[in-house]
Amino acid sequence: MEQSGASLLERDLAKLIVQTLKLKIDPAAIEPEAALFGEGLGLDSIDALELSLAISQTYGYQLKSSDPQIKTIFSSLRALAEAIEKNRTK
Amino acid sequence: MTVDRAMREIPLIGHYDVDDVLAWDQEGPRTVRRFLADAASLAESLPDRSTVLNLATNRYDFLVGFAAAIMRRQMTLLPQSRASQTLLRIAGEFSGSYALTDRGDAIEGIDSVSIQLRGDQALWPMDIPRIPTDRVVAVAFTSGSTGRPMPNKKTWGALTAVAQATGARLGIKAGDRLSVVATVPHQHMFGLEASVMLPIMHGLAMHAGRPLFPADIRSMLADAASRWMLVTTPLHLRACVSESISIPPGGLILSATAPLPRNLAQQAEEHFQAEVHEIFGFAEAGSIAERRTIDGDRWQPLEGVHVAQDASSCLVQAWYLPTPVPVPDRITVDTDGTFVVHGREADQVNVAGHRISLGDLNQLLLKIDGVQDGVFFLPEEGASLVTRLMAFVVAPGKTSEEIQRTLRAYVDPVFMPRPLVCVPSLPRNATGKLPRESVSELARQWLEREGDGA
Repeated sequence: MEQSGASLLERDLAKLIVQTLKLKIDPAAIEPEAALFGEGLGLDSIDALELSLAISQTYGYQLKSSDPQIKTIFSSLRALAEAIEKNRTK
Repeated sequence: MTVDRAMREIPLIGHYDVDDVLAWDQEGPRTVRRFLADAASLAESLPDRSTVLNLATNRYDFLVGFAAAIMRRQMTLLPQSRASQTLLRIAGEFSGSYALTDRGDAIEGIDSVSIQLRGDQALWPMDIPRIPTDRVVAVAFTSGSTGRPMPNKKTWGALTAVAQATGARLGIKAGDRLSVVATVPHQHMFGLEASVMLPIMHGLAMHAGRPLFPADIRSMLADAASRWMLVTTPLHLRACVSESISIPPGGLILSATAPLPRNLAQQAEEHFQAEVHEIFGFAEAGSIAERRTIDGDRWQPLEGVHVAQDASSCLVQAWYLPTPVPVPDRITVDTDGTFVVHGREADQVNVAGHRISLGDLNQLLLKIDGVQDGVFFLPEEGASLVTRLMAFVVAPGKTSEEIQRTLRAYVDPVFMPRPLVCVPSLPRNATGKLPRESVSELARQWLEREGDGA
């Protein structure tokens, strides 16, 4: 299954999520606009913490929950990729 | 001695002046004056019930609700999770319970009251309420093998005694004015003891929020107006060390909920120039012992706590515990009263600092419509921050997604199995038992077949 219009960064990020969280799914099956937490992939706050470390190591972007945009940033693969694009240092 | 202590009263908060900061966050400081007014005003507006589920997410709101409930002689129920079915079940067992919330989120089937902070400073001067030490003020829940949450009643004497003994052990003195930041939830027993009771008994300031990411922890500690204290877990501490966050030196770190590896404690002490102490405890007895992790494996019981070992079990005794409480871990007690922890009793698992019995989880699984058989399993620890549970389920005609969706209403997210595998049958032996080795083998075969993703 190919993601509908997923960008290169979105595809890399989907791989990072699946690998970091050991999800038993094909990275290409993560829809860019679908919810990552709660009902979507069913991720929780420990996943968010684990993912934040991987994102920091890979892209040099440190996530903060005091960021007013945090809910939006974690809402989907696309939103997370956009935030990384804007804040990445590597 | 016991009679004398039982008759005593201890003030709701200790060692503060009225204009001291009791809590702070991005919205500014909350002084003691403001807190007492907020609590008194909320107490007046609470319904006339005997038990309350305090679900406030903000630590200051939680404290105001807790204090208001104490003033109204209501017991605060501390559920292990916010899963809707857990809350309903607890509310059902303590009939007439209502929920206190601070985000306006209602729980279907439970009356909810939103925490309004209307503290009018004109109420001053007011007396600090004095609470009898034998009054039950909180009920913590633990998982049992029956699938029902087991209540553990906490008296004001027990909570204040643990706070005093912990403070004394850590060398916290009245007037130290530490700034406490906590990553643990205040509804968790360790969270209540270390991030709420410890501060209010010693005149400390607490951050009202609950940081998750290392960058959040860093900015809260950097904002602290005085020497900081971080109340946390091995999981969050590992994340902070791995991100090498830079924070003012000289703080104090208190970790609990799971054993802290000594090399991690060493790294944290060096990197943050802070002492790292650990608390050993469990919901049934509260915090019972402390150690500075780099000093060795031995746990020193807190003042007033005695751990006794007989042939079959270990029991904790303290004046504030109505009966001796069995220790849920395998431990060896030395003649000087210190002890070493070897591991959990067979049925208990710890995922990200949350303890639950596998028997309890299995019972929940079997209650799901269409599930004929099922078992949870905790694999050996891997490289990730947290090792998750797996589950094998026999449920013809059901998909693992359907079962996961139902399960989510009953268990805390940390216990959700990854993966939940549907199988035609489980390797039960002739007597119908399911030996751990067989489940372990099933898991090994599954992981080998599916690869482990990483």
